[in-house]
Amino acid sequence: MPREESSKATRRNTRLSSSVTIENPEPNESHTPSVDDLTFGEEETITLDALLSNFPGRRSQILDLIRLMGPLDSPTLPIMVYGDASTGKTSVVLEAFKHLNRPFVYSSCRTCHSPRILFESVLNQLLLHRKSSSNGYSSAKRCDKPSDFVNLLREALGNVVETLGSTSGKPITGKMVYLILDHLDLIKEWDKGNMILQFLFSLCSVLKMPQLGIVLISGLPPDVYYSNMGYTDPIPVYFPEYSEDELRQIFLRTQDNNLKLYSAFLDVVLRPFCRVTRRVEELSTTFSLLFRKYCEPLDDLGISPNEDLKRRLYSHLKPHIASCLNEVFRVSSHLHDGDTRGERKQKSSYSSENRDELDTLDLHMSTSAKYLLIAAFLASRNPATLDASMFDSTGGMDNRKRKRKASEKSMEKKEIAEQEAVMKGPGSFPLERLLAIFQCIASVGDSSLGEEEGGEDEGEEATGYDKENNNLMSCVLLQVSSLCDANFITKSGSCPLEGSIRYRSMVSEDLALKVARSLSFPLAKYLYRR
Amino acid sequence: MGKENPAEKSLNLIRGRLCDPTFVFRPLSVSPESNYSKLRFIVSTSITEGCNNSILLLGPRGSGKAAVLDLVVGDLLEEYPDSVSVIRLNGLLHSDDNCAFKEIARQLCMEHSLLFSKMASFDENSQFIIAMLRECGLAHKTIIFVLDEFDMFAQARILNPYSLLIGKQRLLYSLLDAMQSVTSQAVVVGISSRLDADQLLEKRVRSRFSHRKILFIPPSREEFDSLLEHLLSLPADSSFPSGYVSRFNEKIKNITSDTRFKDMLKTFFNANSTVNSLLKFIFRAVSLMNMESGLLSLENFKAALSSMQRQPKLEAVRDCSILELYLLVCMRRLEVKEQSSYNFISVMKEYKTIHDSFQTSDYYAQNVCLRAFEHLKEREVICYAENRGQSQTGEYRPMKLLISASELHQGMRSHACCPAILVKLLDH
Repeated sequence: MPREESSKATRRNTRLSSSVTIENPEPNESHTPSVDDLTFGEEETITLDALLSNFPGRRSQILDLIRLMGPLDSPTLPIMVYGDASTGKTSVVLEAFKHLNRPFVYSSCRTCHSPRILFESVLNQLLLHRKSSSNGYSSAKRCDKPSDFVNLLREALGNVVETLGSTSGKPITGKMVYLILDHLDLIKEWDKGNMILQFLFSLCSVLKMPQLGIVLISGLPPDVYYSNMGYTDPIPVYFPEYSEDELRQIFLRTQDNNLKLYSAFLDVVLRPFCRVTRRVEELSTTFSLLFRKYCEPLDDLGISPNEDLKRRLYSHLKPHIASCLNEVFRVSSHLHDGDTRGERKQKSSYSSENRDELDTLDLHMSTSAKYLLIAAFLASRNPATLDASMFDSTGGMDNRKRKRKASEKSMEKKEIAEQEAVMKGPGSFPLERLLAIFQCIASVGDSSLGEEEGGEDEGEEATGYDKENNNLMSCVLLQVSSLCDANFITKSGSCPLEGSIRYRSMVSEDLALKVARSLSFPLAKYLYRR
Repeated sequence: MGKENPAEKSLNLIRGRLCDPTFVFRPLSVSPESNYSKLRFIVSTSITEGCNNSILLLGPRGSGKAAVLDLVVGDLLEEYPDSVSVIRLNGLLHSDDNCAFKEIARQLCMEHSLLFSKMASFDENSQFIIAMLRECGLAHKTIIFVLDEFDMFAQARILNPYSLLIGKQRLLYSLLDAMQSVTSQAVVVGISSRLDADQLLEKRVRSRFSHRKILFIPPSREEFDSLLEHLLSLPADSSFPSGYVSRFNEKIKNITSDTRFKDMLKTFFNANSTVNSLLKFIFRAVSLMNMESGLLSLENFKAALSSMQRQPKLEAVRDCSILELYLLVCMRRLEVKEQSSYNFISVMKEYKTIHDSFQTSDYYAQNVCLRAFEHLKEREVICYAENRGQSQTGEYRPMKLLISASELHQGMRSHACCPAILVKLLDH
């Protein structure tokens, strides 16, 4: 995981800095590339004990991996390392190579997002080619077909193996070259990804070169790659999710000043959070925030806490844990954090003010944008056929009629319809309908405000409506596009019959009600309920 | 190399053997009825008599089709060094006709030390190949075309930019058609794991194809036993300490004659009885060899067997957090209720009803659940039921479980900290 690697600035260590990106931030002109670049280098080798203690809970996997690689110069069958995200697959494999000190080529399908980039990245490393300004950041060879790749790879490997064999007096690195391919599961999404996968799985038998060892790293188990042709099973090495104890050891390793305090903190937080997720990445961001909160009442961070203090700290932290479990880690497809303002706010005060946060969020929108938001929401939820009756100038009467009708329906029918509605999600609508509803509700909103004030004059309202229309129409289209940008409304594919672009509201009902409340607009009155 | 310890050396030797298919299949090809002998007879007669031929090697993946062919070709190259040249194509790489012709031209150029032009067009390449076939025929030189993954060549089709089919199996047709002429002298060997590979051929191709097929079946138990000995026993040469070789071979004999080992092999072959899977099993066992004593033990094989027999779906369920298990149980409950399809929103509804009726301690906000949902999807425990409707956001797209009820049940039973209420909820 990134925690150890950020401290030591080694090359090719994190999954982010694959060799496609420039390995050295300042390319050293005097350095001539040699085959030694394919290893981590003598001074960086680590002992097996250090390797094992670096990765708590990964003992059997590390030993298994090293055994499968075998002693120096022994050929190997392809190996597939698999396991869930953030279980240490990539780091264990790379650190194992640090321990073994053998030449290898590492390419991640995350950074190499197409076959051509992947192939060229492998070849560049084997040909000791470094992209730089002098060669215009181009690759050593142009290669986008598997057939070309096999030929070029065979050639390049032959050269590398030859030079590895001939270098005498240097640290012994063996004559084997290993090819590590990370994030194999991403290839499934590629164009013609199945072909590429089949090719990679059978690369070993196609090449017929015992000097190449292949290590595949995948987030998905081998069974998802089964297909009726071209699949040859690599030897699986499974990385299970960390257990609670292992997570404790991992987090204790990240802390270096006050272990006792941190351990007391982990006693409190680890169990509840493990029930939600056991991913180190997600837990570590939360824990770093929570630990700061945990330490807040303390003046001196060096003290070792006694039972009494622990209890006090716990009672201080307890409300934060509860809200944190439901709040801090969020998935981006939800409305509230598509908005950066909301996120920033959330970070600064994630404790318990989420309600206030939403209310304040509303204030950043102009009135017409709010009306548009509600109009879009209504257009998405209500069937288009009801628009006419719904937005009659005397909206209320129809409403009552509809309600009576709904109560007549039997419960079962209602449930089925409800299920259908849930399955369908928000409906889509053309721009014209949105604008029509917008005009209606903007006027009704005004009139309802007027009602509250007490005076209702038809003529008065009509003129007001016209005036507002003139004022607002010019910027409404702009507002629509900015709502689209903020992901409140999405553009969905154009309708095959009408040909125009259709829109869809992404706003949850809670938020729509909140926005309506801030405008004191009677949204519930206009919402069609089955 | 002398300072290397014998354990490491023997390990290297055996691993080298396991990774070298020609070594593995050598002893299986001595008998006159073996596929090796049949294939060798066919190819060598067409070399000596200067005629054209075509053969299909069929059999399951990992049964040694390519290895036996390599053995044959290697031996024939030794026997007739001047009158054989081999062109190797792989359906995975060269199913595109353009690419295949280019590759044939490249390999022909390499073989005859001619200059290969990368820029040559499809027509130029195909004319070149036909000319070369004629020349080789006149010089009494046989070209052996090895077409690995033959079925993929049979499925190759050319589409022009307007997506109209303009040619199918062009490569096979032009190769086989060129072989109809008297002057050429070539053997086409197709390798496929599809037993119906010749049925995939078009009429005009099939009529030009000689329907010679060689079937590869898994070896018998006796052959396996001799294969094991062939693979694992060390040679009695002077490079090892004298006592070590005999001790090692003695140990191997003990293991292979053990009934427990035989049972293990039997369970292993129940799942997969090809030679390649056996190799993988032995490789795993050998890599677990104790490096201090330098000897293999029955435990190594036992451990190898258990690590080969994986149940990824169970592992995936065991990796789930409690919240993720809740979602899986909710989805399962919806399926039991015969709700035809469901999405995240309806799963959340079910989750809420569970919480309302049982007051569980694990009730989290919708966004946290959505993330757990994404995790499940990442792990391919669940997936979208259909690819349509991508305009909808993830929450509304219909989902389905990719694990069966029994897998879920079993996985939850063996989960480290699955709450008892969840198992109960799954049943009712």
